[in-house]
Amino acid sequence: MRGLLSAASPAISQGIYLSWGAVSIQLGNLIVIVVMLVLFILALVLPFPGGKSRK
Amino acid sequence: MSKAPSPMSWRRGDNIAGRPWRGRVRDYDLFKELVIGVVVVGLLVVGLSAVFSSPDDPGVTLKSWATVAPSDFIATATAELGGTSDTAAYGQPYSATPDATQKLGFIDLQALSGVRIPIDTANDFVLTPLKTLPTPPPALAIWSAATAQEQTKWTSDYATALAAVTNGDPAHVAPGDYGPVPALTGALLTMAGSGNLDGVLQSGGQPYNLNYTPTILFLGDGTYFAGLADAAHLTGDQWGVMNETGNTPGQSWLWLFSLFYQIPPFNSSPNADILVVAVMVGLSLLLTLLPFIPGLRSVPRKIPVHRLIWKDYYRNR
Repeated sequence: MRGLLSAASPAISQGIYLSWGAVSIQLGNLIVIVVMLVLFILALVLPFPGGKSRK
Repeated sequence: MSKAPSPMSWRRGDNIAGRPWRGRVRDYDLFKELVIGVVVVGLLVVGLSAVFSSPDDPGVTLKSWATVAPSDFIATATAELGGTSDTAAYGQPYSATPDATQKLGFIDLQALSGVRIPIDTANDFVLTPLKTLPTPPPALAIWSAATAQEQTKWTSDYATALAAVTNGDPAHVAPGDYGPVPALTGALLTMAGSGNLDGVLQSGGQPYNLNYTPTILFLGDGTYFAGLADAAHLTGDQWGVMNETGNTPGQSWLWLFSLFYQIPPFNSSPNADILVVAVMVGLSLLLTLLPFIPGLRSVPRKIPVHRLIWKDYYRNR
């Protein structure tokens, strides 16, 4: 059925999915989540701009 | 001359908010910031939308369904005619089918909504649209003249016969007494294939086509629409709430909501929706009332992430 539908509706892109057991995540979502985590960690460890000169 | 703070003022005491500012001061142009903010953010939104916006996949219509998967359309139309489709058995707000609603213990929110959008699948999806044709099929009169038992037997036998042949092809159904059902479903297929059925179901007798509910319900009763969603990873048991078609990022912030649909007991419960909503409401209340919950409200003291963020301030204390 899926093969038939895929052949019948080429306009809908299938996307790339990564799965670990019950977890299945779309590549685009994974990239967004990883970028958010990286930005959060950078916000934690990087000093505020001009922070050194503040009293 | 300094004015003494009022006894009601929050400036009382020697806390940091009550002390006068003794650091440097400088001019600040609120208008400039507003203009820059609107222009820069506007350009970013337009530019990023042009590059990363959601894919504009072609819509699925009754016409495309009838063209691509006619056998599935015929099987679904037969179920609509016999009142055995998912929509017919859904309960409120479409019908008063007993024991069809999702319940949380004795709480039955779905039934509370009442039958606000009554749908008789045989009449609304099959018979009434066929009556709008310039030349309605004669099979309509045979159906109307039959008893409810005859109608049920015809649709049941035809559905069984369709399920027995390869790919449900109506052309290869075993001979039998199916009454007017093959003629009615065949006429509906022709009507859908020409695009007329989309217009008739959506307009509801009104000049503007704004109501897509009947079309979507009819589509949802077949396997074609569900198969498309399955192939694009959009169904509930595939974390579909989070996903967009293709590789476009979807609603990743719904990960927790989606997670519950993947794990027991939710993924096998007939009341999954109401259970997941109840859990999410409970967790949201927990978050909202966090400042009043002993133990949980002390987590920042035990895991001082804020000290890492404002490390300069805490280093100099």
